[in-house]
Amino acid sequence: MSRSASPAVPLNSLEAGAEACLDATELDGDTRALLRSLGLTDASHLRVCKTGEPFIFQVRATRIGVSAAVAGRLYVTRNGTALAGLNGSNGPHGTSA
Amino acid sequence: MALTAQAPEPAGALQRDVRIALLGNPNTGKTTIFNALCGVRAKTSNFPGTTTAIRTGQFTRDGLHFHTVDLPGVYDTRLQTPESRVARSVVTGERDEAPAATVVVVDACNLTRNLVLVGEILTGTSPVVVALNMEDLAERRGVRIDAGALARRIGAAVVPTVARSGKGLDDLRAAIVAAVVAPPPPHPADLPRADASPEALTAWAEVVVTDTVSSPIDGTAVDSLTERFDRALTHPLLGTACFVGVMGLLFWTLFTLATIPMDLIEATFAGLGNLARGQIPAGPIQELVADGIVGGVAGTVVFLPQIMLLFFLISLLEDTGYLARAAFVMDRLLHRFGLPGHAFVPLLTAHACAIPGIMSTRLIPDARDRLATVFVAPFMSCSARLPVYVLLTSLIFADRPGLAALVFAGCYLLGGSAALVSSLLFGHTLLKGRARPMVLELPSYKVPSLRNAVLTAKDEGLAFLRTAGTVIVAICIVMWWLSAYPTVEPSTEVEALRAQATAATTTDEAEALLAEANARETSEAQAASFAGQLGQLAEPVFRPLGFDWQLTVGVLTSFLAREVFVSTMSVLVGAGDESEVDEGVITRIRGMTRADGTAVFTPSTSAAALVFFVLAMQCLPTLAVTRRETGGLKYPLLQLGYMSSVAYAVAFAVHQGLRLAGMA
Repeated sequence: MSRSASPAVPLNSLEAGAEACLDATELDGDTRALLRSLGLTDASHLRVCKTGEPFIFQVRATRIGVSAAVAGRLYVTRNGTALAGLNGSNGPHGTSA
Repeated sequence: MALTAQAPEPAGALQRDVRIALLGNPNTGKTTIFNALCGVRAKTSNFPGTTTAIRTGQFTRDGLHFHTVDLPGVYDTRLQTPESRVARSVVTGERDEAPAATVVVVDACNLTRNLVLVGEILTGTSPVVVALNMEDLAERRGVRIDAGALARRIGAAVVPTVARSGKGLDDLRAAIVAAVVAPPPPHPADLPRADASPEALTAWAEVVVTDTVSSPIDGTAVDSLTERFDRALTHPLLGTACFVGVMGLLFWTLFTLATIPMDLIEATFAGLGNLARGQIPAGPIQELVADGIVGGVAGTVVFLPQIMLLFFLISLLEDTGYLARAAFVMDRLLHRFGLPGHAFVPLLTAHACAIPGIMSTRLIPDARDRLATVFVAPFMSCSARLPVYVLLTSLIFADRPGLAALVFAGCYLLGGSAALVSSLLFGHTLLKGRARPMVLELPSYKVPSLRNAVLTAKDEGLAFLRTAGTVIVAICIVMWWLSAYPTVEPSTEVEALRAQATAATTTDEAEALLAEANARETSEAQAASFAGQLGQLAEPVFRPLGFDWQLTVGVLTSFLAREVFVSTMSVLVGAGDESEVDEGVITRIRGMTRADGTAVFTPSTSAAALVFFVLAMQCLPTLAVTRRETGGLKYPLLQLGYMSSVAYAVAFAVHQGLRLAGMA
């Protein structure tokens, strides 16, 4: 599958106000499915609202709060670099998204 | 007015009873719409074969009688969660026939994500009606949704609604009728297939929004007020301070207000018991009615004020959007022990009473986390333990009230610690795995709906009475019977005291002798009852804890409710049926002796009994509620076995340890 030219970084390394695009995840299937149902689908654009614990970000009109540990397993590219066809993509460390 | 994709046909030829389903994402106002459609006649029950609550209600329109199923709020019916499974089962007609129509309530302010669920349901066979709720809020944000264009685009009726004010609800009823009587319109050509990924459905929803919304709402617009509130309410210090304040207020309200109707209920049933004694001739029937049945019903109904008030307050808090933020605050602590942040409400509530505490575990989204919380909630020191703590700490520290207060507080700490340690233990054994990492939607802050809160409280109260309540009444009657039978004739000592009372020269002396005779008779009856006999039979089991047969009877009778321990000990010592712990009762109980004349309540025995009551289950009504919430006998039996074993082991260690330390 296609990958971004920009390096993917953990979501929790971004500062409040930063905008990014979901690249890959290292989460268990249930948690990933829940996030997808909340709107964080592959290649979604998001905006960081609050860093730390909890980590809050916004996808479209949905504000999602996650523990910092979950945010650390979401890999994003800054400034919303668009990606396509990430359904089932592998994370930077090889875990299925 | 309703904007439909196709004109309705007359309803006259159709069947009268129609089943429809109400579905939607959480926080879309679905409950408000259900309440507006079905009013106060709705009832809450578990979906068959599950412990997931659904609500059902009826309304009539154009000669059709709509049986409405209010499904749990879900983001996606294909998730592997109990709520999604129930929603999927109803909407697709896995158990019964599919509903004649499915009403999907969507948040007009968050259209793209909500349309994903609409797209999922559109791939099914039932006609779909979309209630475009919170339309007023969307308009205030400058969002213009062309409902007619949306209806044509998705091939389903779309009704703009504002559920709180009732706007659009009549149109919604009309649209439901139209959807039921007319053949369903064809699916939009670009609708993804039923097995499409969330990405495909989201892409479809985005195109639909682009086609029908004049000002895009699904950007990442900044709501600075919400952001400021979120930062404050989830802040490690400020958020914790707010949490303590809000929860303090909630439980102060609960403790203060619930006692008023509880006292009233107790007084009313006491009056009913007296009325029964006055109307029915003395004998077993009178005792059964006055003490068994009236007492049993009172023992159930008395829980209602706490349960209803708690759910009323939780509903208000949930509506405001605060609970999601509070869950994150508590997750920092609870997650380390394998419990989710949501567990704070059940655990705090259990300090009032484990029954509403366990019932409120329904707030917890994950089944494993919910079960872990149900399991450990009864360790929290409930209000029924208070008289026992007062009695036993007073017995141990007769002249040192400061120490007694310290140990009293320590009981709360011991119960809370036992809950957390047990949760860790379960995470490695029975309920393997850690609490699911927190992932929550943070809904918009809103003014709560009083009507919703009242209806929720009513539904939960009735659901409790229908299910657990009937079991609790039966338990109360059985426990009364065990304590009251077989009856015995008064002993010669009692008869002698009564004879002395008759011959007494002053009224005061006669009354004192009569009171002593009555107390002694009650004590003898208690000892001869089945419960008393069981106590004597079970005494060897409790002997290693320092308990004699009287204390053992106290333990057994308190299975009905812990506070019964005080009245049982009071009866056994011949002080009458006193449930209040005053100095006179404490003094008499302190003077209780064993068969060999030594004191029953030595420091080591009292301490062991105190620890036992902190940790033991000792509450059959709570077990009945655990059975209801877990859907079987397995977990209540495990809970009883585990808590009793822990209580016994720790009480044994305390008793033997103190004896070795020379504090027998």
